[in-house]
Amino acid sequence: MDSRPPVLIAEGLGVARGERRLLDAVDLRLHRGEVVAVLGPNGVGKSTLLAVLAGLLPAAAGRVRLDGRVAAALQPSALARRTVRANVEAALAWWGVARPERTARADAALGLLHVEHLRDRSADTLSGGEARRVHLARALALRSDGLLLDEPFAGLDPPTRAELLHDAASVLRDPDRATLVVVHDRAEAWALADRLLVLLDGRVAAEGTPREVLEQPPTLEVAVFLGFTGRLRGADGSVRCLRTAQVALDPAGPLHGTVRRRIPEEDGVLCEVALADGSLQVRAAYPGPGIDERVRLRIDGSVRFDRRADPSVS
Amino acid sequence: MHALVEGLRQALNLVLDGDPEVWSTTLRTLRVALEATAIAVAVGLPAGCLLGLGRFRGQRAVLSLSNAAMRFPPVAVGQLLWLLMWPHSRWGSGILAGLGWLYAPNAVILAQTLLALPIVVALTAAAVQRVPAELLDQARAFGAPAWRQAGLALREARTGVLAGIIAAMGVAISAVGAILIVGTSLGQATLATAAVTRWNSGGQDARSVAYGAVLLGLFLLIAAGLTRVQHRRTPWIPGRPS
Repeated sequence: MDSRPPVLIAEGLGVARGERRLLDAVDLRLHRGEVVAVLGPNGVGKSTLLAVLAGLLPAAAGRVRLDGRVAAALQPSALARRTVRANVEAALAWWGVARPERTARADAALGLLHVEHLRDRSADTLSGGEARRVHLARALALRSDGLLLDEPFAGLDPPTRAELLHDAASVLRDPDRATLVVVHDRAEAWALADRLLVLLDGRVAAEGTPREVLEQPPTLEVAVFLGFTGRLRGADGSVRCLRTAQVALDPAGPLHGTVRRRIPEEDGVLCEVALADGSLQVRAAYPGPGIDERVRLRIDGSVRFDRRADPSVS
Repeated sequence: MHALVEGLRQALNLVLDGDPEVWSTTLRTLRVALEATAIAVAVGLPAGCLLGLGRFRGQRAVLSLSNAAMRFPPVAVGQLLWLLMWPHSRWGSGILAGLGWLYAPNAVILAQTLLALPIVVALTAAAVQRVPAELLDQARAFGAPAWRQAGLALREARTGVLAGIIAAMGVAISAVGAILIVGTSLGQATLATAAVTRWNSGGQDARSVAYGAVLLGLFLLIAAGLTRVQHRRTPWIPGRPS
Protein backbone atom coordinates (compact mmCIF):
# COMPACT_ATOMS: atom_id res chain seq x y z
CA MET A 1 0.00 0.00 0.00
CA ASP A 2 1.18 3.48 -0.89
CA SER A 3 2.41 5.46 2.11
CA ARG A 4 1.03 8.71 0.74
CA PRO A 5 -2.26 9.96 2.22
CA PRO A 6 -5.41 8.58 0.60
CA VAL A 7 -6.56 10.42 -2.50
CA LEU A 8 -10.12 10.25 -1.26
CA ILE A 9 -11.64 9.79 2.17
CA ALA A 10 -15.40 9.56 2.53
CA GLU A 11 -16.84 9.55 6.01
CA GLY A 12 -20.43 8.82 6.98
CA LEU A 13 -21.83 9.62 3.55
CA GLY A 14 -25.59 9.74 3.36
CA VAL A 15 -27.88 10.63 0.48
CA ALA A 16 -31.67 10.72 0.56
CA ARG A 17 -34.27 11.27 -2.11
CA GLY A 18 -37.46 12.26 -0.34
CA GLU A 19 -38.18 9.66 2.30
CA ARG A 20 -35.91 7.09 0.71
CA ARG A 21 -32.31 6.78 1.87
CA LEU A 22 -30.09 5.97 -1.07
CA LEU A 23 -26.84 5.87 0.88
CA ASP A 24 -26.37 5.49 4.58
CA ALA A 25 -23.18 5.98 6.61
CA VAL A 26 -20.78 4.97 3.85
CA ASP A 27 -17.09 5.15 4.76
CA LEU A 28 -14.45 4.75 2.08
CA ARG A 29 -10.74 5.36 1.51
CA LEU A 30 -9.02 5.31 -1.84
CA HIS A 31 -5.24 4.95 -1.92
CA ARG A 32 -2.89 5.58 -4.81
CA GLY A 33 -2.01 2.44 -6.69
CA GLU A 34 -5.13 0.46 -5.80
CA VAL A 35 -8.23 -0.43 -7.73
CA VAL A 36 -11.35 -0.67 -5.59
CA ALA A 37 -14.52 -2.23 -6.98
CA VAL A 38 -17.93 -1.29 -5.64
CA LEU A 39 -20.22 -4.22 -6.26
CA GLY A 40 -23.92 -4.41 -5.69
CA PRO A 41 -27.21 -5.23 -7.37
CA ASN A 42 -29.03 -2.70 -9.56
CA GLY A 43 -30.60 0.25 -7.77
CA VAL A 44 -28.58 -0.18 -4.59
CA GLY A 45 -26.91 3.25 -4.73
CA LYS A 46 -23.63 2.53 -6.50
CA SER A 47 -23.96 5.25 -9.11
CA THR A 48 -25.24 7.64 -6.45
CA LEU A 49 -22.14 6.94 -4.39
CA LEU A 50 -19.91 7.64 -7.38
CA ALA A 51 -21.77 10.88 -8.16
CA VAL A 52 -21.35 12.06 -4.58
CA LEU A 53 -17.65 11.17 -4.54
CA ALA A 54 -17.21 13.05 -7.84
CA GLY A 55 -18.95 16.10 -6.40
CA LEU A 56 -21.83 15.85 -8.86
CA LEU A 57 -24.42 15.24 -6.13
CA PRO A 58 -24.49 16.83 -2.70
CA ALA A 59 -24.31 14.54 0.31
CA ALA A 60 -27.06 14.89 2.90
CA ALA A 61 -24.66 13.64 5.56
CA GLY A 62 -20.96 13.04 5.93
CA ARG A 63 -18.12 14.51 3.93
CA VAL A 64 -15.60 13.77 1.22
CA ARG A 65 -11.96 14.87 1.57
CA LEU A 66 -9.64 14.87 -1.40
CA ASP A 67 -5.89 14.89 -1.74
CA GLY A 68 -5.56 15.68 -5.42
CA ARG A 69 -8.02 15.86 -8.27
CA VAL A 70 -10.65 13.25 -8.99
CA ALA A 71 -12.31 12.64 -12.36
CA ALA A 72 -15.35 10.49 -12.98
CA ALA A 73 -16.35 8.62 -16.13
CA LEU A 74 -20.10 8.23 -15.87
CA GLN A 75 -21.99 5.21 -17.11
CA PRO A 76 -23.15 6.51 -20.53
CA SER A 77 -20.28 6.92 -22.98
CA ALA A 78 -21.64 10.42 -23.72
CA LEU A 79 -19.42 11.53 -26.58
CA ALA A 80 -19.95 14.84 -28.36
CA ARG A 81 -20.69 14.98 -32.10
CA ARG A 82 -17.03 15.48 -32.98
CA THR A 83 -14.12 13.28 -33.88
CA VAL A 84 -12.78 10.84 -31.34
CA ARG A 85 -9.60 12.85 -30.87
CA ALA A 86 -11.55 16.10 -30.50
CA ASN A 87 -13.62 14.45 -27.77
CA VAL A 88 -10.52 13.48 -25.82
CA GLU A 89 -8.95 16.90 -26.39
CA ALA A 90 -12.15 18.59 -25.20
CA ALA A 91 -11.99 16.60 -21.96
CA LEU A 92 -8.35 17.66 -21.54
CA ALA A 93 -9.39 21.28 -22.09
CA TRP A 94 -12.09 20.95 -19.40
CA TRP A 95 -9.50 19.44 -17.11
CA GLY A 96 -7.25 22.45 -17.67
CA VAL A 97 -4.50 20.86 -19.77
CA ALA A 98 -2.62 23.40 -21.91
CA ARG A 99 -3.47 23.30 -25.62
CA PRO A 100 -0.01 22.23 -26.90
CA GLU A 101 -0.08 19.07 -24.73
CA ARG A 102 -3.56 17.93 -25.63
CA THR A 103 -3.02 16.15 -28.93
CA ALA A 104 -0.11 14.05 -27.69
CA ARG A 105 -1.93 13.11 -24.50
CA ALA A 106 -5.10 12.27 -26.40
CA ASP A 107 -3.21 10.04 -28.84
CA ALA A 108 -1.32 8.31 -26.03
CA ALA A 109 -4.53 7.53 -24.17
CA LEU A 110 -6.27 6.28 -27.31
CA GLY A 111 -3.23 4.05 -27.89
CA LEU A 112 -3.54 2.56 -24.41
CA LEU A 113 -7.03 1.35 -25.25
CA HIS A 114 -6.04 0.30 -28.81
CA VAL A 115 -8.34 2.80 -30.51
CA GLU A 116 -5.75 5.18 -31.95
CA HIS A 117 -6.91 4.19 -35.45
CA LEU A 118 -10.32 5.72 -34.64
CA ARG A 119 -8.98 9.14 -33.74
CA ASP A 120 -10.27 10.89 -36.88
CA ARG A 121 -13.61 9.11 -36.91
CA SER A 122 -16.71 10.94 -35.80
CA ALA A 123 -17.94 9.71 -32.43
CA ASP A 124 -21.38 9.31 -34.03
CA THR A 125 -20.08 6.42 -36.08
CA LEU A 126 -18.53 4.30 -33.30
CA SER A 127 -19.88 0.93 -32.25
CA GLY A 128 -20.86 0.43 -28.60
CA GLY A 129 -17.56 -1.27 -27.77
CA GLU A 130 -15.49 1.40 -29.53
CA ALA A 131 -17.39 4.16 -27.75
CA ARG A 132 -16.71 2.46 -24.41
CA ARG A 133 -12.99 2.29 -25.17
CA VAL A 134 -12.87 5.93 -26.22
CA HIS A 135 -14.80 6.89 -23.09
CA LEU A 136 -12.27 5.07 -20.91
CA ALA A 137 -9.33 6.50 -22.89
CA ARG A 138 -10.74 9.99 -22.39
CA ALA A 139 -10.84 9.44 -18.63
CA LEU A 140 -7.30 8.01 -18.54
CA ALA A 141 -5.95 10.92 -20.61
CA LEU A 142 -6.70 13.29 -17.72
CA ARG A 143 -4.09 11.56 -15.52
CA SER A 144 -6.13 12.40 -12.44
CA ASP A 145 -5.07 11.43 -8.94
CA GLY A 146 -8.35 9.59 -8.50
CA LEU A 147 -10.48 8.00 -11.19
CA LEU A 148 -14.07 6.92 -10.63
CA LEU A 149 -15.61 4.64 -13.26
CA ASP A 150 -19.31 3.87 -13.34
CA GLU A 151 -19.99 0.49 -14.95
CA PRO A 152 -17.45 0.89 -17.76
CA PHE A 153 -18.55 -2.38 -19.39
CA ALA A 154 -22.30 -1.80 -19.32
CA GLY A 155 -24.27 -2.69 -22.42
CA LEU A 156 -21.53 -4.63 -24.20
CA ASP A 157 -21.94 -8.06 -25.76
CA PRO A 158 -19.95 -10.78 -23.93
CA PRO A 159 -16.95 -11.03 -26.33
CA THR A 160 -16.53 -7.23 -26.53
CA ARG A 161 -16.90 -6.97 -22.79
CA ALA A 162 -14.31 -9.70 -22.21
CA GLU A 163 -11.79 -7.95 -24.48
CA LEU A 164 -12.28 -4.57 -22.84
CA LEU A 165 -12.16 -6.11 -19.37
CA HIS A 166 -8.85 -7.76 -20.25
CA ASP A 167 -7.37 -4.46 -21.47
CA ALA A 168 -8.85 -2.41 -18.63
CA ALA A 169 -7.37 -4.75 -16.02
CA SER A 170 -3.88 -3.69 -17.09
CA VAL A 171 -4.40 0.00 -17.97
CA LEU A 172 -6.19 0.77 -14.71
CA ARG A 173 -3.12 -0.24 -12.72
CA ASP A 174 -1.18 2.94 -12.02
CA PRO A 175 0.93 3.52 -8.90
CA ASP A 176 0.06 7.21 -8.94
CA ARG A 177 -3.67 6.86 -9.29
CA ALA A 178 -6.45 5.59 -7.06
CA THR A 179 -9.22 3.95 -9.06
CA LEU A 180 -12.75 3.13 -7.98
CA VAL A 181 -14.87 1.15 -10.38
CA VAL A 182 -18.57 0.53 -9.93
CA VAL A 183 -19.71 -2.83 -11.30
CA HIS A 184 -22.68 -5.10 -10.85
CA ASP A 185 -21.11 -8.16 -12.38
CA ARG A 186 -18.98 -10.19 -9.97
CA ALA A 187 -16.64 -11.35 -12.71
CA GLU A 188 -15.70 -7.73 -13.46
CA ALA A 189 -14.90 -7.11 -9.81
CA TRP A 190 -12.70 -10.23 -9.55
CA ALA A 191 -10.86 -9.25 -12.74
CA LEU A 192 -10.15 -5.66 -11.71
CA ALA A 193 -10.13 -5.11 -8.01
CA ASP A 194 -7.51 -5.20 -5.28
CA ARG A 195 -10.22 -4.39 -2.80
CA LEU A 196 -13.94 -4.94 -2.92
CA LEU A 197 -16.85 -3.10 -1.35
CA VAL A 198 -20.22 -4.79 -1.46
CA LEU A 199 -23.01 -2.25 -1.32
CA LEU A 200 -26.44 -3.48 -0.29
CA ASP A 201 -29.39 -1.22 0.49
CA GLY A 202 -27.17 1.86 0.45
CA ARG A 203 -24.76 0.49 3.05
CA VAL A 204 -21.32 -1.08 2.83
CA ALA A 205 -22.22 -4.69 3.63
CA ALA A 206 -18.74 -6.16 3.10
CA GLU A 207 -15.23 -4.90 2.47
CA GLY A 208 -11.92 -6.65 1.85
CA THR A 209 -9.91 -8.27 -0.88
CA PRO A 210 -12.12 -10.15 -3.35
CA ARG A 211 -10.76 -13.46 -2.05
CA GLU A 212 -11.46 -12.54 1.59
CA VAL A 213 -14.98 -11.37 0.87
CA LEU A 214 -15.75 -14.44 -1.22
CA GLU A 215 -14.29 -16.91 1.25
CA GLN A 216 -15.84 -15.35 4.28
CA PRO A 217 -18.85 -13.16 3.44
CA PRO A 218 -19.85 -11.36 6.65
CA THR A 219 -23.60 -11.93 6.34
CA LEU A 220 -26.01 -14.31 4.68
CA GLU A 221 -27.30 -11.42 2.59
CA VAL A 222 -23.81 -10.78 1.19
CA ALA A 223 -23.28 -14.51 0.60
CA VAL A 224 -26.49 -14.76 -1.40
CA PHE A 225 -25.46 -11.75 -3.48
CA LEU A 226 -22.03 -13.28 -4.10
CA GLY A 227 -23.55 -16.40 -5.57
CA PHE A 228 -23.85 -18.74 -2.60
CA THR A 229 -26.97 -20.33 -4.04
CA GLY A 230 -26.94 -23.51 -2.01
CA ARG A 231 -28.33 -23.51 1.50
CA LEU A 232 -28.34 -26.27 4.13
CA ARG A 233 -29.91 -25.89 7.55
CA GLY A 234 -28.14 -27.23 10.58
CA ALA A 235 -29.89 -28.81 13.56
CA ASP A 236 -28.82 -25.83 15.68
CA GLY A 237 -30.59 -23.33 13.40
CA SER A 238 -27.43 -22.25 11.60
CA VAL A 239 -27.26 -22.09 7.82
CA ARG A 240 -24.46 -23.39 5.61
CA CYS A 241 -24.15 -21.56 2.30
CA LEU A 242 -22.39 -22.98 -0.73
CA ARG A 243 -21.47 -21.77 -4.18
CA THR A 244 -22.12 -24.00 -7.15
CA ALA A 245 -18.37 -24.45 -7.55
CA GLN A 246 -18.24 -26.02 -4.07
CA VAL A 247 -20.66 -28.82 -4.97
CA ALA A 248 -20.00 -31.79 -7.26
CA LEU A 249 -21.90 -34.90 -8.33
CA ASP A 250 -20.16 -37.91 -6.82
CA PRO A 251 -21.57 -41.47 -6.72
CA ALA A 252 -19.67 -41.97 -3.48
CA GLY A 253 -20.60 -38.56 -2.00
CA PRO A 254 -22.00 -38.27 1.53
CA LEU A 255 -25.11 -36.25 0.58
CA HIS A 256 -28.02 -37.38 -1.49
CA GLY A 257 -30.91 -35.52 -2.99
CA THR A 258 -33.36 -35.29 -5.87
CA VAL A 259 -32.98 -33.14 -8.98
CA ARG A 260 -35.86 -30.67 -9.00
CA ARG A 261 -34.85 -28.38 -11.87
CA ARG A 262 -32.48 -28.45 -14.82
CA ILE A 263 -31.18 -25.35 -16.59
CA PRO A 264 -29.23 -26.18 -19.76
CA GLU A 265 -26.03 -24.17 -20.13
CA GLU A 266 -23.35 -23.78 -22.76
CA ASP A 267 -21.08 -26.44 -21.26
CA GLY A 268 -23.50 -28.67 -19.39
CA VAL A 269 -26.51 -28.52 -17.13
CA LEU A 270 -27.12 -26.58 -13.93
CA CYS A 271 -29.17 -28.77 -11.61
CA GLU A 272 -31.09 -27.72 -8.54
CA VAL A 273 -31.05 -30.55 -6.05
CA ALA A 274 -33.42 -30.83 -3.09
CA LEU A 275 -31.96 -32.36 0.06
CA ALA A 276 -33.56 -33.18 3.37
CA ASP A 277 -32.23 -30.01 4.97
CA GLY A 278 -32.08 -27.59 2.06
CA SER A 279 -31.16 -27.31 -1.57
CA LEU A 280 -27.98 -27.03 -3.62
CA GLN A 281 -27.04 -26.18 -7.17
CA VAL A 282 -24.57 -28.34 -9.00
CA ARG A 283 -23.13 -28.26 -12.51
CA ALA A 284 -23.08 -31.50 -14.42
CA ALA A 285 -21.62 -32.48 -17.75
CA TYR A 286 -24.16 -32.81 -20.55
CA PRO A 287 -26.67 -34.55 -20.54
CA GLY A 288 -26.59 -34.67 -16.72
CA PRO A 289 -29.21 -36.21 -14.42
CA GLY A 290 -32.91 -35.94 -15.24
CA ILE A 291 -35.69 -34.36 -13.24
CA ASP A 292 -36.62 -36.39 -10.12
CA GLU A 293 -33.45 -38.46 -10.48
CA ARG A 294 -31.72 -39.31 -7.20
CA VAL A 295 -28.10 -38.13 -7.06
CA ARG A 296 -25.24 -38.20 -4.56
CA LEU A 297 -23.18 -35.09 -3.88
CA ARG A 298 -19.86 -34.11 -2.41
CA ILE A 299 -19.19 -30.63 -1.06
CA ASP A 300 -15.92 -28.81 -0.82
CA GLY A 301 -16.13 -25.87 1.55
CA SER A 302 -18.97 -23.68 2.73
CA VAL A 303 -19.67 -20.74 5.01
CA ARG A 304 -21.82 -21.03 8.09
CA PHE A 305 -24.08 -18.34 9.45
CA ASP A 306 -25.38 -18.45 12.97
CA ARG A 307 -28.85 -17.17 13.76
CA ARG A 308 -27.55 -15.34 16.84
CA ALA A 309 -24.80 -13.53 14.92
CA ASP A 310 -26.74 -12.75 11.75
CA PRO A 311 -30.36 -11.61 12.10
CA SER A 312 -31.01 -12.29 8.42
CA VAL A 313 -30.69 -16.05 9.16
CA SER A 314 -34.23 -17.20 9.87
CA MET B 1 -48.43 40.39 -64.50
CA HIS B 2 -47.04 42.88 -67.00
CA ALA B 3 -46.32 45.34 -64.17
CA LEU B 4 -44.37 42.67 -62.29
CA VAL B 5 -42.31 41.68 -65.32
CA GLU B 6 -41.63 45.31 -66.18
CA GLY B 7 -40.75 46.06 -62.56
CA LEU B 8 -38.33 43.13 -62.46
CA ARG B 9 -36.74 44.18 -65.76
CA GLN B 10 -36.18 47.73 -64.56
CA ALA B 11 -34.97 46.46 -61.20
CA LEU B 12 -32.46 44.22 -62.89
CA ASN B 13 -31.18 47.19 -64.87
CA LEU B 14 -30.82 49.26 -61.70
CA VAL B 15 -28.92 46.48 -59.96
CA LEU B 16 -26.70 45.59 -62.90
CA ASP B 17 -26.00 49.26 -63.68
CA GLY B 18 -24.78 49.58 -60.11
CA ASP B 19 -27.27 52.27 -59.15
CA PRO B 20 -25.48 53.86 -56.21
CA GLU B 21 -28.64 54.57 -54.23
CA VAL B 22 -29.95 51.03 -54.56
CA TRP B 23 -26.65 49.47 -53.54
CA SER B 24 -25.79 51.85 -50.70
CA THR B 25 -29.27 51.65 -49.20
CA THR B 26 -29.36 47.88 -49.46
CA LEU B 27 -25.90 47.41 -47.99
CA ARG B 28 -26.73 49.87 -45.19
CA THR B 29 -29.85 47.85 -44.44
CA LEU B 30 -27.84 44.69 -44.34
CA ARG B 31 -25.16 46.23 -42.13
CA VAL B 32 -27.73 47.53 -39.64
CA ALA B 33 -29.50 44.17 -39.56
CA LEU B 34 -26.18 42.35 -39.07
CA GLU B 35 -25.22 44.67 -36.23
CA ALA B 36 -28.60 44.16 -34.57
CA THR B 37 -28.35 40.40 -35.04
CA ALA B 38 -24.80 40.37 -33.69
CA ILE B 39 -25.90 42.20 -30.54
CA ALA B 40 -28.89 39.88 -30.18
CA VAL B 41 -26.59 36.86 -30.56
CA ALA B 42 -24.00 38.22 -28.11
CA VAL B 43 -26.67 38.76 -25.48
CA GLY B 44 -29.07 36.01 -26.50
CA LEU B 45 -26.75 32.99 -26.59
CA PRO B 46 -25.59 33.30 -22.96
CA ALA B 47 -29.13 34.19 -21.88
CA GLY B 48 -30.55 31.23 -23.81
CA CYS B 49 -27.97 28.90 -22.24
CA LEU B 50 -28.81 30.20 -18.79
CA LEU B 51 -32.51 29.67 -19.44
CA GLY B 52 -32.07 26.28 -21.03
CA LEU B 53 -29.44 24.78 -18.75
CA GLY B 54 -29.67 26.70 -15.49
CA ARG B 55 -31.92 26.15 -12.52
CA PHE B 56 -33.36 29.24 -10.87
CA ARG B 57 -36.61 30.61 -9.54
CA GLY B 58 -38.83 32.11 -12.19
CA GLN B 59 -37.06 30.21 -14.97
CA ARG B 60 -40.32 28.94 -16.46
CA ALA B 61 -41.85 32.42 -16.38
CA VAL B 62 -38.84 33.93 -18.18
CA LEU B 63 -38.99 31.13 -20.77
CA SER B 64 -42.69 31.81 -21.34
CA LEU B 65 -41.98 35.52 -21.68
CA SER B 66 -39.21 34.99 -24.22
CA ASN B 67 -41.44 32.62 -26.18
CA ALA B 68 -44.21 35.22 -26.21
CA ALA B 69 -41.79 38.01 -27.11
CA MET B 70 -40.87 36.20 -30.33
CA ARG B 71 -44.25 37.30 -31.69
CA PHE B 72 -44.12 40.94 -30.59
CA PRO B 73 -45.48 43.12 -33.44
CA PRO B 74 -42.67 45.30 -34.83
CA VAL B 75 -45.03 48.28 -34.82
CA ALA B 76 -45.62 47.87 -31.08
CA VAL B 77 -41.88 47.67 -30.40
CA GLY B 78 -41.31 50.75 -32.57
CA GLN B 79 -44.09 52.61 -30.77
CA LEU B 80 -42.67 51.68 -27.37
CA LEU B 81 -39.19 52.83 -28.32
CA TRP B 82 -40.59 56.02 -29.82
CA LEU B 83 -42.30 56.78 -26.50
CA LEU B 84 -39.11 55.98 -24.57
CA MET B 85 -36.95 58.13 -26.85
CA TRP B 86 -39.32 61.00 -27.70
CA PRO B 87 -38.12 64.16 -25.98
CA HIS B 88 -41.45 66.03 -25.76
CA SER B 89 -44.50 63.85 -25.26
CA ARG B 90 -47.52 64.97 -23.22
CA TRP B 91 -46.18 62.80 -20.38
CA GLY B 92 -42.81 64.49 -20.51
CA SER B 93 -39.66 63.18 -22.16
CA GLY B 94 -38.99 59.44 -22.45
CA ILE B 95 -36.39 57.81 -20.23
CA LEU B 96 -34.16 57.16 -23.25
CA ALA B 97 -34.59 60.66 -24.69
CA GLY B 98 -31.17 61.66 -23.39
CA LEU B 99 -29.50 59.27 -25.81
CA GLY B 100 -30.69 61.38 -28.75
CA TRP B 101 -31.16 58.26 -30.86
CA LEU B 102 -34.65 58.93 -32.20
CA TYR B 103 -34.58 58.91 -36.03
CA ALA B 104 -30.91 57.96 -35.91
CA PRO B 105 -29.49 54.62 -37.07
CA ASN B 106 -28.94 53.58 -33.45
CA ALA B 107 -32.70 53.67 -32.83
CA VAL B 108 -33.20 51.32 -35.74
CA ILE B 109 -30.48 48.98 -34.47
CA LEU B 110 -32.06 49.02 -31.03
CA ALA B 111 -35.51 48.26 -32.46
CA GLN B 112 -34.17 45.42 -34.58
CA THR B 113 -32.15 44.05 -31.65
CA LEU B 114 -35.23 44.02 -29.42
CA LEU B 115 -37.15 42.11 -32.08
CA ALA B 116 -34.33 39.63 -32.75
CA LEU B 117 -33.27 39.05 -29.14
CA PRO B 118 -36.28 36.99 -27.93
CA ILE B 119 -35.94 34.73 -30.95
CA VAL B 120 -32.28 34.03 -30.21
CA VAL B 121 -32.99 33.53 -26.49
CA ALA B 122 -36.04 31.29 -26.88
CA LEU B 123 -34.68 29.12 -29.69
CA THR B 124 -31.26 28.79 -28.03
CA ALA B 125 -32.90 27.74 -24.76
CA ALA B 126 -35.05 25.20 -26.59
CA ALA B 127 -32.06 23.85 -28.50
CA VAL B 128 -29.69 23.44 -25.54
CA GLN B 129 -32.42 21.81 -23.48
CA ARG B 130 -32.37 18.95 -25.97
CA VAL B 131 -28.65 18.27 -25.49
CA PRO B 132 -28.35 14.95 -23.61
CA ALA B 133 -27.98 15.67 -19.91
CA GLU B 134 -25.43 12.87 -19.57
CA LEU B 135 -23.05 14.65 -21.94
CA LEU B 136 -23.15 17.81 -19.83
CA ASP B 137 -22.89 15.76 -16.62
CA GLN B 138 -19.83 14.03 -18.06
CA ALA B 139 -18.25 17.39 -18.89
CA ARG B 140 -18.88 18.45 -15.30
CA ALA B 141 -17.38 15.18 -14.03
CA PHE B 142 -14.26 16.00 -16.05
CA GLY B 143 -14.00 19.40 -14.39
CA ALA B 144 -15.62 21.61 -17.05
CA PRO B 145 -16.57 25.01 -15.64
CA ALA B 146 -20.05 26.36 -16.41
CA TRP B 147 -18.93 28.41 -19.41
CA ARG B 148 -17.32 25.38 -21.02
CA GLN B 149 -20.47 23.33 -20.41
CA ALA B 150 -22.46 26.11 -22.11
CA GLY B 151 -20.00 26.07 -25.01
CA LEU B 152 -20.39 22.31 -25.33
CA ALA B 153 -24.20 22.61 -25.26
CA LEU B 154 -24.15 25.35 -27.93
CA ARG B 155 -21.90 23.28 -30.14
CA GLU B 156 -24.00 20.16 -29.77
CA ALA B 157 -27.20 22.17 -30.35
CA ARG B 158 -25.75 24.15 -33.24
CA THR B 159 -28.51 23.13 -35.66
CA GLY B 160 -31.21 24.65 -33.48
CA VAL B 161 -29.06 27.60 -32.41
CA LEU B 162 -28.24 28.52 -36.00
CA ALA B 163 -31.93 28.20 -36.92
CA GLY B 164 -32.60 30.78 -34.22
CA ILE B 165 -29.89 33.09 -35.57
CA ILE B 166 -31.24 32.82 -39.13
CA ALA B 167 -34.76 33.53 -37.91
CA ALA B 168 -33.53 36.47 -35.82
CA MET B 169 -31.71 37.95 -38.77
CA GLY B 170 -34.80 37.54 -40.91
CA VAL B 171 -36.86 39.43 -38.37
CA ALA B 172 -34.23 42.14 -38.00
CA ILE B 173 -33.94 42.71 -41.73
CA SER B 174 -37.68 42.80 -42.31
CA ALA B 175 -38.78 44.85 -39.30
CA VAL B 176 -40.20 47.63 -41.42
CA GLY B 177 -42.93 48.61 -38.96
CA ALA B 178 -40.54 49.54 -36.18
CA ILE B 179 -38.09 51.23 -38.59
CA LEU B 180 -40.79 53.48 -40.02
CA ILE B 181 -41.61 54.73 -36.53
CA VAL B 182 -38.16 55.26 -34.99
CA GLY B 183 -36.15 55.84 -38.18
CA THR B 184 -38.60 57.52 -40.50
CA SER B 185 -36.53 60.66 -40.96
CA LEU B 186 -33.22 59.02 -41.72
CA GLY B 187 -33.40 60.70 -45.14
CA GLN B 188 -30.38 59.73 -47.22
CA ALA B 189 -29.52 57.14 -44.64
CA THR B 190 -32.82 55.35 -44.98
CA LEU B 191 -33.06 51.59 -45.07
CA ALA B 192 -34.24 49.44 -47.93
CA THR B 193 -37.31 48.10 -46.16
CA ALA B 194 -38.51 51.63 -45.38
CA ALA B 195 -37.53 52.81 -48.86
CA VAL B 196 -39.55 50.00 -50.46
CA THR B 197 -42.60 51.25 -48.65
CA ARG B 198 -41.87 54.81 -49.70
CA TRP B 199 -41.16 53.99 -53.35
CA ASN B 200 -44.23 51.78 -53.59
CA SER B 201 -46.49 54.53 -52.37
CA GLY B 202 -44.75 56.94 -54.75
CA GLY B 203 -45.27 54.67 -57.76
CA GLN B 204 -41.52 53.85 -58.17
CA ASP B 205 -42.11 50.15 -58.64
CA ALA B 206 -38.79 49.33 -60.31
CA ARG B 207 -36.75 50.92 -57.59
CA SER B 208 -38.70 49.17 -54.83
CA VAL B 209 -38.45 45.83 -56.66
CA ALA B 210 -34.70 46.42 -57.04
CA TYR B 211 -34.32 47.00 -53.30
CA GLY B 212 -36.41 43.94 -52.54
CA ALA B 213 -34.52 41.74 -54.97
CA VAL B 214 -31.04 42.73 -53.80
CA LEU B 215 -32.05 42.46 -50.16
CA LEU B 216 -33.64 39.08 -50.71
CA GLY B 217 -30.64 37.83 -52.66
CA LEU B 218 -28.15 38.88 -50.02
CA PHE B 219 -30.26 37.45 -47.23
CA LEU B 220 -30.60 34.16 -49.08
CA LEU B 221 -26.82 34.02 -49.47
CA ILE B 222 -26.25 34.57 -45.75
CA ALA B 223 -28.99 32.11 -44.80
CA ALA B 224 -27.54 29.54 -47.20
CA GLY B 225 -24.12 29.95 -45.60
CA LEU B 226 -25.53 29.50 -42.11
CA THR B 227 -27.62 26.53 -43.24
CA ARG B 228 -24.50 24.89 -44.67
CA VAL B 229 -22.80 25.21 -41.30
CA GLN B 230 -25.98 24.07 -39.56
CA HIS B 231 -26.28 20.84 -41.51
CA ARG B 232 -22.64 19.86 -41.65
CA ARG B 233 -22.79 16.35 -40.25
CA THR B 234 -21.33 12.93 -40.63
CA PRO B 235 -23.18 10.35 -42.67
CA TRP B 236 -25.10 7.62 -40.95
CA ILE B 237 -23.22 4.34 -40.79
CA PRO B 238 -25.12 1.09 -40.32
CA GLY B 239 -24.32 -0.63 -37.04
CA ARG B 240 -23.51 2.38 -34.95
CA PRO B 241 -25.34 2.55 -31.62
CA SER B 242 -28.62 4.44 -31.77
